[in-house]
Amino acid sequence: MTTSIRGRSTGFTSGGTLNPVERARRVWEFRRILALLIGRDLRVRYASSMLGYVWAVLDPLALSVVYWFLFTQVITRRVGFPPYILFLVAGQLAWQWINGSINGTLGALRSESQMVRSSNVPRELWVLRVVLSKGVEYVFSLPVLAMFAVAYTKAPNHYILYFPLALLMAVLFATGIGLILAPAAVLVRDLRSVVRISTRALFFLSPILYSLHDLDHGGRKANIKDIVSWNPVAGIMSLIRAPFFPQELNWADVEHAAIVIVVIFVIGVWSFNRLERPMLKEV
Amino acid sequence: MAEPIISVEDVGIRFNRGRRRKRSAKEMLTKGKTGTPRAEFWPFRHVSFDIYEGESIGVIGRNGVGKSTLLTMLAGTLVPDEGKVTVRAGVAPLIAITGGFVGDLTARENIHLVAGLHGMTRKEIAEAFDEIVEFAELGDALDTPFKHFSSGMKVRLAFSVVVRLREPILLVDEVLAVGDRAFRRKCMKRIDGLLGQGQTLFLVSHSEGSLMRFCTRGLYLKDGGLAADGPIQEVIDMYKADTGGEDGEDEQYEDDTMATGDPGDTDEMF
Repeated sequence: MTTSIRGRSTGFTSGGTLNPVERARRVWEFRRILALLIGRDLRVRYASSMLGYVWAVLDPLALSVVYWFLFTQVITRRVGFPPYILFLVAGQLAWQWINGSINGTLGALRSESQMVRSSNVPRELWVLRVVLSKGVEYVFSLPVLAMFAVAYTKAPNHYILYFPLALLMAVLFATGIGLILAPAAVLVRDLRSVVRISTRALFFLSPILYSLHDLDHGGRKANIKDIVSWNPVAGIMSLIRAPFFPQELNWADVEHAAIVIVVIFVIGVWSFNRLERPMLKEV
Repeated sequence: MAEPIISVEDVGIRFNRGRRRKRSAKEMLTKGKTGTPRAEFWPFRHVSFDIYEGESIGVIGRNGVGKSTLLTMLAGTLVPDEGKVTVRAGVAPLIAITGGFVGDLTARENIHLVAGLHGMTRKEIAEAFDEIVEFAELGDALDTPFKHFSSGMKVRLAFSVVVRLREPILLVDEVLAVGDRAFRRKCMKRIDGLLGQGQTLFLVSHSEGSLMRFCTRGLYLKDGGLAADGPIQEVIDMYKADTGGEDGEDEQYEDDTMATGDPGDTDEMF
Protein backbone atom coordinates (compact mmCIF):
# COMPACT_ATOMS: atom_id res chain seq x y z
CA MET A 1 0.00 0.00 0.00
CA THR A 2 1.61 3.18 -1.12
CA THR A 3 -1.26 5.62 -0.89
CA SER A 4 -3.88 5.93 1.76
CA ILE A 5 -7.55 5.22 1.35
CA ARG A 6 -9.50 8.13 0.03
CA GLY A 7 -12.85 8.40 -1.58
CA ARG A 8 -13.11 8.65 -5.32
CA SER A 9 -16.83 9.06 -5.72
CA THR A 10 -19.12 10.85 -3.34
CA GLY A 11 -21.45 7.96 -2.66
CA PHE A 12 -25.11 7.75 -3.49
CA THR A 13 -28.62 7.63 -2.17
CA SER A 14 -31.06 5.01 -3.31
CA GLY A 15 -34.65 4.39 -2.51
CA GLY A 16 -37.60 6.68 -2.86
CA THR A 17 -37.53 8.48 -6.16
CA LEU A 18 -34.67 10.45 -7.58
CA ASN A 19 -35.71 13.57 -9.39
CA PRO A 20 -34.62 13.92 -13.01
CA VAL A 21 -32.18 16.70 -12.20
CA GLU A 22 -30.42 14.53 -9.65
CA ARG A 23 -30.29 11.70 -12.17
CA ALA A 24 -28.86 13.95 -14.86
CA ARG A 25 -26.24 15.17 -12.41
CA ARG A 26 -25.20 11.57 -11.69
CA VAL A 27 -24.93 10.79 -15.39
CA TRP A 28 -22.76 13.87 -15.86
CA GLU A 29 -20.60 12.80 -12.93
CA PHE A 30 -19.95 9.52 -14.71
CA ARG A 31 -19.30 11.00 -18.16
CA ARG A 32 -15.75 9.71 -18.13
CA ILE A 33 -16.95 6.14 -17.74
CA LEU A 34 -19.42 6.75 -20.55
CA ALA A 35 -16.53 7.82 -22.74
CA LEU A 36 -14.64 4.70 -21.72
CA LEU A 37 -17.53 2.46 -22.75
CA ILE A 38 -18.04 4.26 -26.05
CA GLY A 39 -14.33 4.07 -26.75
CA ARG A 40 -14.40 0.33 -26.18
CA ASP A 41 -17.41 -0.09 -28.48
CA LEU A 42 -15.67 1.81 -31.24
CA ARG A 43 -12.45 -0.14 -30.80
CA VAL A 44 -14.40 -3.36 -31.18
CA ARG A 45 -16.25 -1.94 -34.18
CA TYR A 46 -13.19 -0.71 -36.01
CA ALA A 47 -10.79 -3.31 -34.66
CA SER A 48 -10.09 -4.73 -38.11
CA SER A 49 -9.04 -1.23 -39.17
CA MET A 50 -10.21 -0.36 -42.70
CA LEU A 51 -12.49 -3.32 -43.09
CA GLY A 52 -14.34 -2.47 -39.89
CA TYR A 53 -15.12 0.92 -41.33
CA VAL A 54 -16.24 -0.59 -44.62
CA TRP A 55 -18.71 -2.86 -42.87
CA ALA A 56 -20.09 0.08 -40.91
CA VAL A 57 -21.03 2.03 -44.06
CA LEU A 58 -21.58 -0.82 -46.50
CA ASP A 59 -25.05 -1.66 -45.26
CA PRO A 60 -26.65 1.78 -45.79
CA LEU A 61 -24.75 2.19 -49.06
CA ALA A 62 -25.91 -1.12 -50.48
CA LEU A 63 -29.50 -0.33 -49.49
CA SER A 64 -29.21 3.11 -51.06
CA VAL A 65 -28.10 1.57 -54.33
CA VAL A 66 -31.00 -0.89 -54.21
CA TYR A 67 -33.55 1.85 -53.56
CA TRP A 68 -31.95 4.05 -56.18
CA PHE A 69 -32.39 1.25 -58.70
CA LEU A 70 -35.97 0.64 -57.58
CA PHE A 71 -37.06 4.26 -57.66
CA THR A 72 -35.22 5.53 -60.71
CA GLN A 73 -35.11 2.50 -62.98
CA VAL A 74 -38.15 0.41 -62.07
CA ILE A 75 -40.72 2.77 -60.63
CA THR A 76 -40.35 5.96 -62.55
CA ARG A 77 -42.66 8.09 -60.48
CA ARG A 78 -40.39 10.73 -59.05
CA VAL A 79 -39.80 10.79 -55.30
CA GLY A 80 -37.33 12.83 -53.34
CA PHE A 81 -35.06 15.27 -55.10
CA PRO A 82 -32.25 14.78 -57.58
CA PRO A 83 -29.54 13.68 -57.34
CA TYR A 84 -31.61 10.91 -55.82
CA ILE A 85 -28.64 8.78 -54.75
CA LEU A 86 -27.31 11.67 -52.64
CA PHE A 87 -30.81 12.16 -51.23
CA LEU A 88 -30.93 8.46 -50.34
CA VAL A 89 -27.47 8.15 -48.84
CA ALA A 90 -28.07 11.21 -46.63
CA GLY A 91 -31.25 9.61 -45.36
CA GLN A 92 -29.97 6.06 -45.08
CA LEU A 93 -26.89 6.91 -43.04
CA ALA A 94 -28.95 8.82 -40.49
CA TRP A 95 -31.62 6.13 -40.43
CA GLN A 96 -28.97 3.50 -39.81
CA TRP A 97 -28.03 5.41 -36.65
CA ILE A 98 -31.60 5.84 -35.41
CA ASN A 99 -32.59 2.29 -36.25
CA GLY A 100 -29.38 0.83 -34.83
CA SER A 101 -29.87 2.78 -31.61
CA ILE A 102 -33.46 1.72 -31.13
CA ASN A 103 -32.70 -1.93 -31.72
CA GLY A 104 -29.42 -1.71 -29.84
CA THR A 105 -30.95 -0.27 -26.68
CA LEU A 106 -33.06 -3.42 -26.38
CA GLY A 107 -29.91 -5.20 -25.30
CA ALA A 108 -28.36 -2.20 -23.54
CA LEU A 109 -29.12 -3.63 -20.10
CA ARG A 110 -30.01 -7.22 -20.88
CA SER A 111 -26.83 -8.20 -22.69
CA GLU A 112 -24.73 -6.33 -20.14
CA SER A 113 -26.51 -7.87 -17.18
CA GLN A 114 -23.25 -8.85 -15.48
CA MET A 115 -21.90 -5.33 -15.72
CA VAL A 116 -25.19 -3.78 -14.67
CA ARG A 117 -25.25 -6.01 -11.61
CA SER A 118 -21.69 -5.43 -10.58
CA SER A 119 -21.06 -1.72 -11.01
CA ASN A 120 -22.98 1.15 -9.58
CA VAL A 121 -22.90 3.48 -12.53
CA PRO A 122 -26.14 5.33 -13.30
CA ARG A 123 -28.12 2.81 -15.32
CA GLU A 124 -28.98 5.45 -17.93
CA LEU A 125 -25.36 5.21 -18.97
CA TRP A 126 -25.94 1.84 -20.64
CA VAL A 127 -28.59 3.37 -22.88
CA LEU A 128 -26.59 6.50 -23.68
CA ARG A 129 -23.61 4.37 -24.50
CA VAL A 130 -25.50 2.56 -27.27
CA VAL A 131 -27.00 5.74 -28.72
CA LEU A 132 -23.75 7.68 -28.62
CA SER A 133 -21.48 4.97 -29.99
CA LYS A 134 -23.85 4.55 -32.91
CA GLY A 135 -23.87 8.33 -33.18
CA VAL A 136 -20.10 8.47 -33.41
CA GLU A 137 -20.25 5.74 -36.06
CA TYR A 138 -22.71 7.93 -37.94
CA VAL A 139 -20.42 10.94 -37.78
CA PHE A 140 -17.57 8.74 -38.99
CA SER A 141 -19.70 7.73 -41.96
CA LEU A 142 -20.24 11.33 -43.08
CA PRO A 143 -17.15 11.40 -45.34
CA VAL A 144 -19.00 8.89 -47.50
CA LEU A 145 -21.82 11.38 -47.88
CA ALA A 146 -19.28 14.07 -48.68
CA MET A 147 -17.88 11.84 -51.42
CA PHE A 148 -21.28 11.60 -53.06
CA ALA A 149 -21.70 15.36 -52.75
CA VAL A 150 -18.36 15.88 -54.48
CA ALA A 151 -19.25 13.38 -57.17
CA TYR A 152 -22.42 15.35 -57.95
CA THR A 153 -20.65 18.70 -57.41
CA LYS A 154 -23.16 19.71 -54.75
CA ALA A 155 -21.76 22.21 -52.28
CA PRO A 156 -23.53 22.40 -48.92
CA ASN A 157 -25.42 25.62 -48.20
CA HIS A 158 -25.60 27.51 -44.91
CA TYR A 159 -28.14 25.08 -43.47
CA ILE A 160 -25.16 22.94 -42.57
CA LEU A 161 -24.93 25.17 -39.48
CA TYR A 162 -28.11 23.48 -38.21
CA PHE A 163 -26.53 20.05 -38.45
CA PRO A 164 -25.63 19.94 -34.72
CA LEU A 165 -29.30 20.59 -33.98
CA ALA A 166 -30.18 17.54 -36.06
CA LEU A 167 -27.66 15.48 -34.11
CA LEU A 168 -29.06 16.69 -30.80
CA MET A 169 -32.60 15.86 -31.88
CA ALA A 170 -31.56 12.39 -33.00
CA VAL A 171 -29.71 11.77 -29.71
CA LEU A 172 -32.71 12.86 -27.62
CA PHE A 173 -35.13 10.84 -29.76
CA ALA A 174 -33.09 7.63 -29.65
CA THR A 175 -32.28 8.08 -25.96
CA GLY A 176 -35.93 8.66 -25.09
CA ILE A 177 -36.97 5.49 -26.90
CA GLY A 178 -34.00 3.62 -25.43
CA LEU A 179 -34.89 4.63 -21.87
CA ILE A 180 -38.30 3.06 -22.42
CA LEU A 181 -37.09 -0.06 -24.21
CA ALA A 182 -33.93 -1.04 -22.33
CA PRO A 183 -35.52 -1.86 -18.94
CA ALA A 184 -38.67 -3.17 -20.63
CA ALA A 185 -36.57 -5.64 -22.61
CA VAL A 186 -35.27 -7.08 -19.35
CA LEU A 187 -38.78 -7.52 -17.97
CA VAL A 188 -40.48 -8.77 -21.11
CA ARG A 189 -39.39 -11.66 -23.25
CA ASP A 190 -40.51 -10.99 -26.79
CA LEU A 191 -39.99 -7.30 -27.18
CA ARG A 192 -37.33 -7.70 -29.84
CA SER A 193 -39.62 -8.87 -32.61
CA VAL A 194 -42.20 -6.23 -31.76
CA VAL A 195 -39.55 -3.54 -32.00
CA ARG A 196 -38.09 -4.93 -35.21
CA ILE A 197 -41.46 -4.81 -36.90
CA SER A 198 -42.15 -1.34 -35.55
CA THR A 199 -38.87 0.09 -36.74
CA ARG A 200 -39.40 -1.42 -40.17
CA ALA A 201 -42.80 0.24 -40.33
CA LEU A 202 -41.29 3.49 -39.10
CA PHE A 203 -38.76 3.33 -41.91
CA PHE A 204 -41.46 3.35 -44.58
CA LEU A 205 -43.62 5.86 -42.71
CA SER A 206 -40.70 8.28 -42.51
CA PRO A 207 -39.52 10.44 -45.38
CA ILE A 208 -36.31 8.53 -46.04
CA LEU A 209 -36.95 7.08 -49.48
CA TYR A 210 -39.17 10.01 -50.30
CA SER A 211 -39.65 13.60 -49.32
CA LEU A 212 -42.51 15.02 -47.28
CA HIS A 213 -43.31 17.01 -50.41
CA ASP A 214 -44.21 13.76 -52.16
CA LEU A 215 -47.07 13.37 -49.69
CA ASP A 216 -48.45 16.79 -50.47
CA HIS A 217 -51.26 16.05 -52.89
CA GLY A 218 -52.84 19.45 -52.51
CA GLY A 219 -56.59 19.65 -52.18
CA ARG A 220 -58.66 20.74 -49.23
CA LYS A 221 -59.21 17.45 -47.42
CA ALA A 222 -57.03 16.25 -44.56
CA ASN A 223 -53.58 15.76 -45.88
CA ILE A 224 -51.48 12.70 -45.04
CA LYS A 225 -48.47 14.99 -45.06
CA ASP A 226 -49.80 16.82 -42.03
CA ILE A 227 -49.85 13.56 -40.12
CA VAL A 228 -46.42 12.32 -41.20
CA SER A 229 -44.93 15.71 -40.44
CA TRP A 230 -45.45 14.84 -36.75
CA ASN A 231 -43.15 11.86 -37.19
CA PRO A 232 -39.98 13.04 -35.43
CA VAL A 233 -37.82 11.24 -37.99
CA ALA A 234 -39.24 13.57 -40.65
CA GLY A 235 -37.99 16.67 -38.86
CA ILE A 236 -34.57 15.13 -38.28
CA MET A 237 -34.33 14.06 -41.94
CA SER A 238 -35.31 17.46 -43.25
CA LEU A 239 -32.62 19.14 -41.14
CA ILE A 240 -30.01 16.61 -42.19
CA ARG A 241 -30.80 16.93 -45.88
CA ALA A 242 -31.23 20.70 -45.93
CA PRO A 243 -27.54 21.46 -46.62
CA PHE A 244 -27.92 19.76 -50.01
CA PHE A 245 -31.68 19.97 -50.49
CA PRO A 246 -32.82 23.33 -49.07
CA GLN A 247 -36.34 22.73 -50.38
CA GLU A 248 -36.55 19.88 -47.81
CA LEU A 249 -36.40 22.22 -44.85
CA ASN A 250 -39.69 23.30 -43.41
CA TRP A 251 -39.37 24.74 -39.93
CA ALA A 252 -42.89 23.66 -39.04
CA ASP A 253 -41.81 20.02 -39.49
CA VAL A 254 -38.77 20.61 -37.29
CA GLU A 255 -40.92 22.17 -34.60
CA HIS A 256 -43.33 19.25 -34.72
CA ALA A 257 -40.42 16.86 -34.42
CA ALA A 258 -38.94 18.82 -31.52
CA ILE A 259 -42.23 18.72 -29.63
CA VAL A 260 -42.69 14.98 -30.14
CA ILE A 261 -39.05 14.26 -29.25
CA VAL A 262 -39.30 16.21 -26.00
CA VAL A 263 -42.49 14.32 -25.11
CA ILE A 264 -40.85 10.96 -25.88
CA PHE A 265 -37.78 11.92 -23.90
CA VAL A 266 -39.83 12.93 -20.86
CA ILE A 267 -41.79 9.67 -21.06
CA GLY A 268 -38.47 7.84 -21.34
CA VAL A 269 -37.02 9.47 -18.23
CA TRP A 270 -40.22 8.81 -16.31
CA SER A 271 -40.56 5.19 -17.37
CA PHE A 272 -36.88 4.43 -16.78
CA ASN A 273 -37.24 5.74 -13.27
CA ARG A 274 -40.24 3.50 -12.77
CA LEU A 275 -38.86 0.33 -14.33
CA GLU A 276 -35.33 0.56 -12.98
CA ARG A 277 -36.19 -1.09 -9.66
CA PRO A 278 -37.89 -4.20 -11.04
CA MET A 279 -35.31 -4.33 -13.83
CA LEU A 280 -32.43 -4.59 -11.34
CA LYS A 281 -34.08 -7.59 -9.72
CA GLU A 282 -34.52 -9.43 -13.00
CA VAL A 283 -31.42 -8.49 -14.93
CA MET B 1 -20.27 12.00 16.47
CA ALA B 2 -19.62 12.49 12.79
CA GLU B 3 -22.17 11.79 10.12
CA PRO B 4 -22.60 8.05 9.49
CA ILE B 5 -20.85 6.79 6.37
CA ILE B 6 -23.79 4.50 5.64
CA SER B 7 -27.39 5.18 6.69
CA VAL B 8 -30.05 2.57 6.16
CA GLU B 9 -33.49 3.88 7.03
CA ASP B 10 -36.55 1.67 7.24
CA VAL B 11 -35.45 -0.33 4.22
CA GLY B 12 -37.35 -3.21 2.69
CA ILE B 13 -37.23 -5.04 -0.60
CA ARG B 14 -39.74 -7.21 -2.38
CA PHE B 15 -39.12 -10.12 -4.68
CA ASN B 16 -41.39 -12.28 -6.70
CA ARG B 17 -41.34 -15.82 -5.54
CA GLY B 18 -40.76 -18.68 -7.88
CA ARG B 19 -39.68 -18.45 -11.46
CA ARG B 20 -38.06 -15.34 -12.76
CA ARG B 21 -41.02 -13.29 -13.67
CA LYS B 22 -40.50 -12.74 -17.33
CA ARG B 23 -43.64 -12.04 -19.19
CA SER B 24 -44.41 -11.89 -22.84
CA ALA B 25 -45.50 -8.61 -24.36
CA LYS B 26 -48.97 -10.07 -24.76
CA GLU B 27 -49.26 -10.83 -21.06
CA MET B 28 -47.95 -7.40 -20.26
CA LEU B 29 -50.57 -5.77 -22.43
CA THR B 30 -53.46 -7.91 -21.25
CA LYS B 31 -52.63 -7.96 -17.56
CA GLY B 32 -51.08 -4.55 -17.25
CA LYS B 33 -47.53 -3.78 -16.33
CA THR B 34 -48.02 -3.51 -12.61
CA GLY B 35 -50.78 -6.03 -12.12
CA THR B 36 -50.47 -7.59 -8.69
CA PRO B 37 -47.95 -10.41 -8.84
CA ARG B 38 -49.32 -13.55 -7.31
CA ALA B 39 -46.57 -14.49 -4.91
CA GLU B 40 -44.32 -11.80 -3.59
CA PHE B 41 -42.19 -11.94 -0.53
CA TRP B 42 -40.09 -9.52 1.46
CA PRO B 43 -36.77 -10.95 2.60
CA PHE B 44 -36.71 -8.12 5.13
CA ARG B 45 -38.55 -4.93 5.92
CA HIS B 46 -38.09 -1.94 8.23
CA VAL B 47 -34.36 -2.44 8.58
CA SER B 48 -32.52 0.57 9.93
CA PHE B 49 -28.95 1.08 11.04
CA ASP B 50 -26.12 3.58 10.80
CA ILE B 51 -22.53 2.75 10.17
CA TYR B 52 -19.67 5.07 11.03
CA GLU B 53 -16.33 5.31 9.36
CA GLY B 54 -13.88 2.65 10.40
CA GLU B 55 -16.47 0.21 11.74
CA SER B 56 -16.35 -3.39 10.62
CA ILE B 57 -19.71 -5.05 10.41
CA GLY B 58 -20.52 -8.71 10.03
CA VAL B 59 -23.92 -9.75 8.71
CA ILE B 60 -25.30 -13.00 10.02
CA GLY B 61 -28.38 -14.99 9.24
CA ARG B 62 -29.65 -18.18 7.71
CA ASN B 63 -29.71 -18.68 3.98
CA GLY B 64 -32.35 -16.63 2.23
CA VAL B 65 -32.83 -13.92 4.85
CA GLY B 66 -31.44 -11.33 2.47
CA LYS B 67 -27.84 -10.88 3.61
CA SER B 68 -26.52 -10.65 0.08
CA THR B 69 -29.48 -8.54 -0.97
CA LEU B 70 -28.64 -6.06 1.77
CA LEU B 71 -25.03 -5.98 0.64
CA THR B 72 -26.05 -5.46 -2.98
CA MET B 73 -28.18 -2.50 -1.91
CA LEU B 74 -25.18 -0.94 -0.21
CA ALA B 75 -23.28 -1.46 -3.45
CA GLY B 76 -26.09 0.43 -5.20
CA THR B 77 -26.99 -2.29 -7.67
CA LEU B 78 -30.33 -3.04 -6.07
CA VAL B 79 -32.74 -0.28 -5.11
CA PRO B 80 -34.93 -0.76 -2.02
CA ASP B 81 -38.69 -0.80 -2.52
CA GLU B 82 -39.17 0.88 0.84
CA GLY B 83 -37.02 3.25 2.79
CA LYS B 84 -33.74 4.81 1.89
CA VAL B 85 -30.10 3.82 1.68
CA THR B 86 -27.51 6.57 1.84
CA VAL B 87 -23.87 5.80 1.28
CA ARG B 88 -21.62 8.80 1.81
CA ALA B 89 -18.38 7.50 0.37
CA GLY B 90 -17.07 5.34 -2.43
CA VAL B 91 -17.68 1.62 -2.28
CA ALA B 92 -15.45 -1.24 -3.37
CA PRO B 93 -17.82 -4.17 -3.81
CA LEU B 94 -16.35 -7.66 -3.54
CA ILE B 95 -19.68 -9.09 -4.65
CA ALA B 96 -20.00 -11.28 -7.73
CA ILE B 97 -16.71 -9.66 -8.54
CA THR B 98 -16.02 -11.37 -11.81
CA GLY B 99 -19.25 -9.86 -13.14
CA GLY B 100 -17.82 -6.82 -14.83
CA PHE B 101 -15.15 -8.80 -16.64
CA VAL B 102 -15.57 -9.51 -20.33
CA GLY B 103 -14.64 -12.98 -21.49
CA ASP B 104 -13.34 -11.97 -24.89
CA LEU B 105 -11.04 -9.27 -23.59
CA THR B 106 -7.59 -10.02 -22.21
CA ALA B 107 -6.69 -9.63 -18.55
CA ARG B 108 -4.92 -6.39 -19.40
CA GLU B 109 -7.96 -4.91 -21.16
CA ASN B 110 -10.25 -6.13 -18.41
CA ILE B 111 -8.19 -4.43 -15.72
CA HIS B 112 -8.55 -1.14 -17.56
CA LEU B 113 -12.24 -1.65 -18.18
CA VAL B 114 -13.29 -2.76 -14.72
CA ALA B 115 -11.08 -0.34 -12.82
CA GLY B 116 -12.44 2.38 -15.11
CA LEU B 117 -16.03 1.30 -14.48
CA HIS B 118 -15.39 1.59 -10.78
CA GLY B 119 -14.15 5.11 -11.28
CA MET B 120 -10.38 4.91 -11.48
CA THR B 121 -8.77 7.34 -13.90
CA ARG B 122 -6.41 6.22 -16.61
CA LYS B 123 -3.49 7.57 -14.61
CA GLU B 124 -4.55 5.82 -11.43
CA ILE B 125 -4.92 2.56 -13.32
CA ALA B 126 -1.47 2.93 -14.83
CA GLU B 127 -0.04 3.46 -11.36
CA ALA B 128 -1.91 0.53 -9.88
CA PHE B 129 -1.47 -1.82 -12.82
CA ASP B 130 1.69 -3.63 -11.77
CA GLU B 131 0.45 -4.00 -8.21
CA ILE B 132 -2.81 -5.53 -9.45
CA VAL B 133 -1.03 -7.95 -11.75
CA GLU B 134 1.42 -8.95 -9.10
CA PHE B 135 -1.25 -9.45 -6.44
CA ALA B 136 -3.35 -11.53 -8.81
CA GLU B 137 -0.39 -13.81 -9.54
CA LEU B 138 -1.22 -13.70 -13.21
CA GLY B 139 2.23 -14.65 -14.42
CA ASP B 140 2.36 -14.52 -18.20
CA ALA B 141 -1.41 -14.74 -18.63
CA LEU B 142 -1.75 -10.97 -18.92
CA ASP B 143 -2.69 -11.07 -22.59
CA THR B 144 -4.83 -14.20 -22.39
CA PRO B 145 -8.58 -13.76 -22.93
CA PHE B 146 -10.38 -13.76 -19.61
CA LYS B 147 -12.63 -16.65 -20.64
CA HIS B 148 -9.62 -18.96 -20.80
CA PHE B 149 -8.77 -18.33 -17.16
CA SER B 150 -9.50 -20.93 -14.52
CA SER B 151 -12.20 -19.88 -12.08
CA GLY B 152 -9.57 -19.43 -9.39
CA MET B 153 -7.57 -17.10 -11.61
CA LYS B 154 -10.68 -15.13 -12.48
CA VAL B 155 -11.48 -14.51 -8.85
CA ARG B 156 -7.87 -13.64 -8.06
CA LEU B 157 -7.79 -11.03 -10.78
CA ALA B 158 -11.17 -9.61 -9.86
CA PHE B 159 -10.27 -9.43 -6.18
CA SER B 160 -7.02 -7.69 -6.99
CA VAL B 161 -8.73 -5.02 -9.05
CA VAL B 162 -11.56 -4.31 -6.65
CA VAL B 163 -9.43 -4.28 -3.52
CA ARG B 164 -7.05 -1.86 -5.22
CA LEU B 165 -9.87 0.64 -5.77
CA ARG B 166 -9.05 2.04 -2.32
CA GLU B 167 -12.57 3.14 -1.63
CA PRO B 168 -13.36 3.87 2.03
CA ILE B 169 -16.05 1.17 2.18
CA LEU B 170 -15.32 -2.45 1.40
CA LEU B 171 -18.24 -4.82 0.87
CA VAL B 172 -17.37 -8.50 1.03
CA ASP B 173 -19.69 -11.37 0.23
CA GLU B 174 -17.96 -14.65 1.02
CA VAL B 175 -15.97 -14.42 -2.17
CA LEU B 176 -12.92 -14.95 -0.07
CA ALA B 177 -13.87 -18.57 0.19
CA VAL B 178 -12.76 -19.02 -3.39
CA GLY B 179 -9.20 -19.44 -4.54
CA ASP B 180 -6.49 -21.60 -3.09
CA ARG B 181 -5.40 -21.44 0.49
CA ALA B 182 -2.33 -19.33 -0.09
CA PHE B 183 -4.29 -16.71 -2.00
CA ARG B 184 -7.03 -16.62 0.62
CA ARG B 185 -4.44 -16.02 3.27
CA LYS B 186 -3.08 -13.17 1.19
CA CYS B 187 -6.57 -11.68 0.86
CA MET B 188 -7.04 -11.89 4.60
CA LYS B 189 -3.78 -10.10 5.17
CA ARG B 190 -4.74 -7.41 2.71
CA ILE B 191 -8.08 -6.86 4.43
CA ASP B 192 -6.38 -6.77 7.81
CA GLY B 193 -4.07 -4.12 6.45
CA LEU B 194 -6.97 -2.08 5.12
CA LEU B 195 -8.81 -2.30 8.42
CA GLY B 196 -5.72 -0.96 10.11
CA GLN B 197 -5.93 2.06 7.85
CA GLY B 198 -9.46 2.88 8.89
CA GLN B 199 -11.32 1.02 6.16
CA THR B 200 -15.00 0.48 6.77
CA LEU B 201 -15.86 -3.17 6.22
CA PHE B 202 -19.19 -4.83 5.62
CA LEU B 203 -18.85 -8.61 5.58
CA VAL B 204 -21.41 -11.29 4.84
CA SER B 205 -20.16 -14.65 5.98
CA HIS B 206 -21.16 -17.92 7.52
CA SER B 207 -17.73 -18.46 8.94
CA GLU B 208 -17.51 -17.68 12.61
CA GLY B 209 -13.76 -17.51 12.25
CA SER B 210 -13.76 -14.70 9.74
CA LEU B 211 -16.55 -12.82 11.46
CA MET B 212 -14.67 -12.89 14.74
CA ARG B 213 -11.42 -11.99 13.10
CA PHE B 214 -12.57 -8.99 11.12
CA CYS B 215 -15.75 -7.66 12.66
CA THR B 216 -16.52 -5.76 15.81
CA ARG B 217 -20.21 -5.29 15.27
CA GLY B 218 -22.78 -7.77 14.08
CA LEU B 219 -26.11 -7.43 12.32
CA TYR B 220 -28.43 -10.41 12.57
CA LEU B 221 -31.12 -10.78 9.92
CA LYS B 222 -33.98 -13.06 10.87
CA ASP B 223 -37.68 -13.50 10.11
CA GLY B 224 -37.89 -10.63 7.67
CA GLY B 225 -36.16 -8.03 9.75
CA LEU B 226 -33.14 -7.00 11.73
CA ALA B 227 -33.18 -9.18 14.86
CA ALA B 228 -30.02 -7.89 16.50
CA ASP B 229 -27.41 -5.19 16.16
CA GLY B 230 -24.56 -5.31 18.63
CA PRO B 231 -21.07 -6.55 19.44
CA ILE B 232 -20.18 -9.38 17.12
CA GLN B 233 -19.74 -12.00 19.84
CA GLU B 234 -23.19 -11.36 21.30
CA VAL B 235 -24.81 -11.47 17.90
CA ILE B 236 -23.09 -14.71 16.99
CA ASP B 237 -24.14 -16.25 20.28
CA MET B 238 -27.70 -15.18 19.65
CA TYR B 239 -27.60 -16.71 16.19
CA LYS B 240 -26.20 -19.93 17.58
CA ALA B 241 -28.86 -20.03 20.26
CA ASP B 242 -31.55 -19.57 17.63
CA THR B 243 -30.22 -22.26 15.34
CA GLY B 244 -29.98 -24.78 18.15
CA GLY B 245 -26.66 -24.02 19.70
CA GLU B 246 -25.60 -27.66 19.98
CA ASP B 247 -22.42 -28.84 18.42
CA GLY B 248 -24.30 -30.60 15.67
CA GLU B 249 -25.95 -27.40 14.59
CA ASP B 250 -22.65 -25.68 14.75
CA GLU B 251 -21.29 -27.98 12.15
CA GLN B 252 -24.25 -27.21 9.97
CA TYR B 253 -23.32 -23.57 10.34
CA GLU B 254 -19.83 -24.29 9.12
CA ASP B 255 -21.17 -26.42 6.32
CA ASP B 256 -22.66 -23.35 4.74
CA THR B 257 -19.20 -22.01 4.21
CA MET B 258 -18.09 -25.22 2.67
CA ALA B 259 -20.97 -25.17 0.27
CA THR B 260 -19.96 -21.83 -1.14
CA GLY B 261 -16.27 -22.24 -0.84
CA ASP B 262 -13.49 -24.70 -1.09
CA PRO B 263 -14.55 -27.90 0.63
CA GLY B 264 -12.26 -29.57 3.05
CA ASP B 265 -10.41 -26.92 4.94
CA THR B 266 -12.95 -24.66 6.52
CA ASP B 267 -10.93 -24.32 9.68
CA GLU B 268 -7.88 -23.33 7.79
CA MET B 269 -9.79 -20.78 5.84
CA PHE B 270 -8.79 -17.84 7.88
